[in-house]
Amino acid sequence: MIQAILDAVSLGGVYALAALGLGLVFGVMRLVNFAHSELITVASYTLVMTHQFPLLISIIFSVAVASLMALIMELVAYRRLRGSNPATMLIVSFGVSVLLQKVYELVFGALPRSASVATWMTGAFTVGGVSITTASVVTIVLAVVILLAMGYLVERTKLGLQLRAAASDFQTARLLGVRSNRLIASAFVISGALAAVVAFVNVVGNPQVDPRFGLDITILALVGIVVGGMNSLRGSALGGFIVGAVLSLLNVILGNGRVYAYSWMFVIVIVILLVRPGGILSKFATKERV
Amino acid sequence: MTLFEVKDLRAGYGKVDVLFGVSLTASKGELVGIVGPNGAGKSTLFGAIVGTVGIRGGSVFLDGEDISGKRPEDIVRLGLSLVPEGRQIFGGLSVIENLTLGLTGRRDKHGEKGALERVHDLFPVLTTHRDHQAGMLSGGQQQQLAIARALVADPRVLLLDEPSLGLSPTVVKDVFDRLIAIAESGTSVVIVEQRAHLVTRLADRTHVLRAGKMQATLTKEDAADEAKLAAAYFGNSGE
Repeated sequence: MIQAILDAVSLGGVYALAALGLGLVFGVMRLVNFAHSELITVASYTLVMTHQFPLLISIIFSVAVASLMALIMELVAYRRLRGSNPATMLIVSFGVSVLLQKVYELVFGALPRSASVATWMTGAFTVGGVSITTASVVTIVLAVVILLAMGYLVERTKLGLQLRAAASDFQTARLLGVRSNRLIASAFVISGALAAVVAFVNVVGNPQVDPRFGLDITILALVGIVVGGMNSLRGSALGGFIVGAVLSLLNVILGNGRVYAYSWMFVIVIVILLVRPGGILSKFATKERV
Repeated sequence: MTLFEVKDLRAGYGKVDVLFGVSLTASKGELVGIVGPNGAGKSTLFGAIVGTVGIRGGSVFLDGEDISGKRPEDIVRLGLSLVPEGRQIFGGLSVIENLTLGLTGRRDKHGEKGALERVHDLFPVLTTHRDHQAGMLSGGQQQQLAIARALVADPRVLLLDEPSLGLSPTVVKDVFDRLIAIAESGTSVVIVEQRAHLVTRLADRTHVLRAGKMQATLTKEDAADEAKLAAAYFGNSGE
């Protein structure tokens, strides 16, 4: 049971980081960056391709590649779309996602690439007669440290203040001197770095990286930011955590029926959204549509 | 000496032209009013000046430098700040966080502390509510915050779009008294108001904008004559 709870917290933490990366970009651009998935994938490929290096160097490479890819995405695909209809930007992000998947297929092949990354994390240890996996503990510690660091960045630094202001009203923020290009580029770079952290813990658990490696987690992280509240970074992280943790617990609780875990999770998501249509931490009330 | 000059400015949205060659000037420490009915193009004029509305012709000069077509974040650094219509404070942020954001547009980063002290002297209520959420302030307090937030950038020209909007007469008087003090300290102040009488009493000069064109420029004495003001505001028929 303790291991099940640790796994739930661990998976919740990973999804919280993925959702935070998506939420940062959504906050400043109102863009649901579906191609975040490809940032996770490229970071995962980098870890696999550099597995022979010391782990820290491999992780630094992975963060650098994903951040650079995020920056290029912003410069090449999204910069000209600023202020466009959110649906237009979403479709373009689908296009970027599919294009990059095909590029990965050409470069790395359609079959999974695998390598042992941080094998020391795959073991387990016993505490008070309970067996606990190292991966779940390391993931929780990593997620907590990074979420705290992100909390500090967003709440205590000038960049964080500008990110919060831009998420609320970008035009007024610009009138006050907030440099839009620099701020949006920063959000993408941070989002890329977060994608690399998500990639690391995922590759440790499943070192079979294929061109669609980041897709599932990105889709569920997107569900998470809607559940938590798209207009709030805290909401994004909380929503991501809830989705990951609930999914993990359902897999344990349902036993042989775990094939229905996704279905039950979406039932829970629908119930949450019926009660809080704007998301758990959203301040916006339901709008009458008809 | 002219510090700020708008010359033959044309602007609009999509296929619709809104401004048809608008010109105005402001000297150092001068308080200039722009009045006009709804839809005259007043907010578009300010939008075009600060770079949020595309310019289709004409120029904007600040201290002789052509700033037309520059980005909003660059224009504020050159010394031109806007207090937008509806105040547009960040309601979810604290008062001090709003003011800190205002410092982003300063050219002189060394004077930040002094700038904050000056606005706290001018608007003591902001000191009292320093850590309160800005969205919880009253309308008058929010307007003071919006002006203070623009002032900490140390602008040479301060533009205010409908500063009286949603405020009680007592609060409006209080806000306008402070605007006079700001102008007297050497900052050029340009105020757009739909309620003409509020600004004509204070402004050194008042421009009347109607249908995207400057229809008249009135001195303080001219504007005190209600018939003259009404004729300029509504057109010659006075309707």
